[in-house]
Amino acid sequence: MLRFVVRRLLLLAPIVLGLSILVFLWIRALPGGPAEALLGERATQARIADVRHRYGLDKPLPVQYWAYLRTTLSGDLGQSIASRRSVTSEIAQRFPATIELALAAMIFAIGIGLPLGFLAAKWYGSWFDHLSLVGSLLGISIPIFFLAVILKYVFSVKLGLLPSIGQISVLIDLKHPTNFYLLDAVIEWDWSAFWDVLKHLILPAIALGSIPLAIVMRITRAAVLDVQNEDYVRTARAKGLSPLVVDSRHVLRNAMLPISTIIGLQTGLLLSGAVLTETVFQYPGIGSWITNAIFNRDYPVIQGGILFLAVVFVLVNLLVDISYAILNPRIRYGR
Amino acid sequence: MIALVVVGASSGAHKASKAPKAFKTLVFGTASDPVVLDGALVSDGESLRVIDQIFESLIKLKPGTTKVAPGLATSWKTAGGGKVWTFALRKGVKFHDGTKFNAAAVCYNFNRWYNFKGAFQSPDATYYWQAIFLGFHNNESSDLSPSLFKGCKAKGQYSAQFTLAKPFGPFIPALSLTNFAIASPTALKKYGADKAEIRNGIFTPTGTYGFKHPTGTGPFKFKSWTVGEKLEIDRFAGYWGTKAKLGKVIFRPISNNTARLQALQTGEIMGYDLVAPQDYGAIKGNSKLKLLTRPAFNVAYVTLHQGTGSPMNDLKVRQAVAYGLNRTGLINSSAYPPGAVVAKEFQPPQLFGYAKKGVKTYNFDPAKARTLLNSSSCHVPCKVDFWYPSAVSRPYMPDPKRNFEVFKASLEASGFDVTAHTANWRPDYVGKVTNGTAGDLNLIGWTGDYGDPDNFLGVFFGTFSEQFNFHNNQIFNILQKARTETDQAKRVKLYEQANKIIMNYLPAVPYAHTSPALGFKKTVNGYKPSPVSLEPFALVSIGGV
Amino acid sequence: MSIAEIESAELALESSTGGLWREAWFRLRRNPGAIVGAFFVLTFVVIAAFAPLIAPYDPTIVPTVLPETCCPGPSSAHWFGVNVIGQDTFSRVIYGARLSLVVGIVSVAVGLSVGMFLGAIAGYIGGFVDSVIMRCMDVLLAIPGLLLAIGIVALDLPFDRLYQLMIAIGVTNIPIFARLLRGSILAQRENDFVLAARSVGVKRPTILFSHILPNAMSPMIVQGTLALATAIIDVAALGFLGLGPQDPSTPEWGNMLADAQDYLSSQPLLAVFPGIAIVISVLGFNLIGDGMREALDPKLRGRA
Repeated sequence: MLRFVVRRLLLLAPIVLGLSILVFLWIRALPGGPAEALLGERATQARIADVRHRYGLDKPLPVQYWAYLRTTLSGDLGQSIASRRSVTSEIAQRFPATIELALAAMIFAIGIGLPLGFLAAKWYGSWFDHLSLVGSLLGISIPIFFLAVILKYVFSVKLGLLPSIGQISVLIDLKHPTNFYLLDAVIEWDWSAFWDVLKHLILPAIALGSIPLAIVMRITRAAVLDVQNEDYVRTARAKGLSPLVVDSRHVLRNAMLPISTIIGLQTGLLLSGAVLTETVFQYPGIGSWITNAIFNRDYPVIQGGILFLAVVFVLVNLLVDISYAILNPRIRYGR
Repeated sequence: MIALVVVGASSGAHKASKAPKAFKTLVFGTASDPVVLDGALVSDGESLRVIDQIFESLIKLKPGTTKVAPGLATSWKTAGGGKVWTFALRKGVKFHDGTKFNAAAVCYNFNRWYNFKGAFQSPDATYYWQAIFLGFHNNESSDLSPSLFKGCKAKGQYSAQFTLAKPFGPFIPALSLTNFAIASPTALKKYGADKAEIRNGIFTPTGTYGFKHPTGTGPFKFKSWTVGEKLEIDRFAGYWGTKAKLGKVIFRPISNNTARLQALQTGEIMGYDLVAPQDYGAIKGNSKLKLLTRPAFNVAYVTLHQGTGSPMNDLKVRQAVAYGLNRTGLINSSAYPPGAVVAKEFQPPQLFGYAKKGVKTYNFDPAKARTLLNSSSCHVPCKVDFWYPSAVSRPYMPDPKRNFEVFKASLEASGFDVTAHTANWRPDYVGKVTNGTAGDLNLIGWTGDYGDPDNFLGVFFGTFSEQFNFHNNQIFNILQKARTETDQAKRVKLYEQANKIIMNYLPAVPYAHTSPALGFKKTVNGYKPSPVSLEPFALVSIGGV
Repeated sequence: MSIAEIESAELALESSTGGLWREAWFRLRRNPGAIVGAFFVLTFVVIAAFAPLIAPYDPTIVPTVLPETCCPGPSSAHWFGVNVIGQDTFSRVIYGARLSLVVGIVSVAVGLSVGMFLGAIAGYIGGFVDSVIMRCMDVLLAIPGLLLAIGIVALDLPFDRLYQLMIAIGVTNIPIFARLLRGSILAQRENDFVLAARSVGVKRPTILFSHILPNAMSPMIVQGTLALATAIIDVAALGFLGLGPQDPSTPEWGNMLADAQDYLSSQPLLAVFPGIAIVISVLGFNLIGDGMREALDPKLRGRA
């Protein structure tokens, strides 16, 4: 087990290195280039040349890359041009927001998708099964941004039930020991703040969770169908165990394996979706932040942000693999 | 909807505001966070809006106009042919940190700006100082001109004397800029306002002054700032003038136009700036909301870039463009708010120097444009590259995409073959327009900073610029003369003449003067829109529920 | 094993794939979802192909007199109403189908061909080459797809924005196809007929092209169909974020939706029409892809 983890961790290195090269080259291929982006709209040729020289942008690429790698490895991701704050501190503030949103979306997706999928498999071939299958395909087919725009228009603008933007009402002063706002509210024992943050999460979480919901539902259904016909389930039934016990102890538990894998694979999709959801709901997370940075040529943010997200993505997948290995002792650790 | 807001307000109140109950809180939606709260170092509207509540300048504008009035200076006089100015200062004024306001404080501020060194001399750091006073005591770059400002001396406690290198017509109105607001010397020193470096190539104040301790004399004092979430200012009880009616103002950044409208509709904010024209109806039709419009003090125009090999070098082609732009159609459509007018000159009509008659006009006339083109060096179909900015809304150009589409269609009906190009507003688009790489035609505009035509005509056509790329000494000379002239009657004549020459020469085609609008809850009273967006929140109150 | 035996193995393989396809087709036809999907897709393709005949107006035309209020709703002259500058929404939705289909197909084709090429090399040559290619794919996969696409469009390559979109979405598809093909090649490399072919000295490329690839095709086709659905959404998402075609008069659904969002308060229908168009076309491809997956999946065979 340990060897498996170490091996997977070692495999991370080339990926992260490759990413850093990719992002590094990409920044330099952007139109305008970093010097122009740094100087902004009032750049003159002389100043551009000056900045290029001062920051070594006129040196050969490998030299520049080495310098970049050294500062990055020392934990310095530079400073945002737009906010003039360090990229690391921005990440520390925004990443928890995105995690909170993603978790809420996953809870929504699993909370509804799992039972739906299970029931669809139980009642295989029934109208419920067909309906939920079509519904899940529809869920995958609705663009997140379209859903988000509609949800916001209906539930906050027209009905006035939920807030339309942001993470917390500005009238609430909440201390942020963790930057996970729900957790902060609990730590501060401020339940009105907790409720407020929760209300801000609902619509974005539904928009972001719609596709995972559909996928979780389908996977659960397929997994339960598969497992149901396995010998040990039949044996359990034959032994006369009550259907409820069989379902909960054997069917669902074994179906958890493929489900956990797909949850891992969804992380990437979730992060993509977060870009759109956060944009529509003006949610101060990491997805909309990087997108804006790309539009504004805020290159330290792009560089640091994408590298960070990618590392997170790879790590999440590693965790999923490990948990998969723990859940399923039959897996071979070797390759 | 209302219920939600009230719940939100009361739930937060027990922790949030320490202000007495009688004073209410206003939540105002802004397009973005300020950059830094040091007037000398910013040029963006969102920074200036907040700074303007915390700080005051020597000169004020009468609310809702561009007419100058006493601010921290009560009176002023000039001598030496316009080179020496003496200001009598207001007595009994204190900064938020208790420091006394006097001539020494005024001169400390001006001499601080004049003696800026190193990173502070970069144009993105001190744009307005450089725009008005051109240079510094010790210019470190050959791009800078010798400074127009030569020093400030305290003549007694409450009298400050300024020396200029040469007479400067718009000096007094220029001092009304929020960029020249007076800050507490104690706080400037204590919190390292003069510390900055070019870090990773970006001008970065490294002291905490502009982020945590901006200290002025204004009716509000700085409370806290969480980037991306909110910026709070509190009522300053020791203000010398009429004290603020509100206990607290919270500025909340919401980058998207529609999101701001929706936040106003849901009650998450109580007011916001730059209402999009299409949202006027939604606000007017809502019994709980109201719309306030600013007097038009801007101009939108199409640059006709006379680059090497560009068809725009031919006056006939430029005239064809002017006739080929369906300006009236655009301004009368729902893409522009009611109150917008077709621009005939490059400055707003209410500003002195506007030529009331004798200016060449160009009404939409596709047939005439075609005839002109066929007698020019660029026959029908005349190929042009046309740029517009994406994902941005400006006061003079609320929806650039729609402007572009209308102009593209009308130019194509007039014998042009238009190729579309776009870039994001910052940093690409504005950069490309200013350095002359945004095609033959591009959409751009300007909002005035203070009430002087030099701030319009002088900025655009006062000298050669890569943006327009033309050399016309007749235009350059007349505008330079108007800038240094101090006799008002003569200045009016010069600018009227300049407007006529410019509209014959057509370095660009002006197309709109727009009244930008703000949306508020009906309960918000006392907000007085100003042409230059200097709007004191101190006069605002919230009535009823 | 003799040549004849190998030939017979090949024959058996062919007949089995033929059988597989025939059976799959049979099962597909009995799947109501797939039929509905096929109907949607067919409608979509017909609309895209004959857009100029169906659309009553030129989608880019701007009247000289623009609407004074935003925005006149459906009428007999304009079935879906007009937008703020008087362009006919119905015609724009129709032409939008053409753009979505073309960008979708081209970008999937880019992803499919490059991905197959890389996957085939990695899977068949193996070893160091495999490692290098697959690590590169991992790198691409590690960046969230939409961000990767945004990044590529932001490079502002010297082509028209439409081609940039195709390349961007195509690139996000490359690692998916490469992994898929490599996986099925690895699975088949040890198959009896491949081993047999190799043992009698059939050239490696021949084995690859005549034995392995045909067998790996069915998951690729399923994935390709589903990728088309995703591509249509991605084009719209990029348009929504302001990275659509440079010329704003180009009718593109995501772009139309983004514009409509600004006018939501005065005319919500402007958002509804392009939105529904996206949902229906994407649903069509998803239904077909899903039906094909079930039809071709040996595990599920005999169940539906």
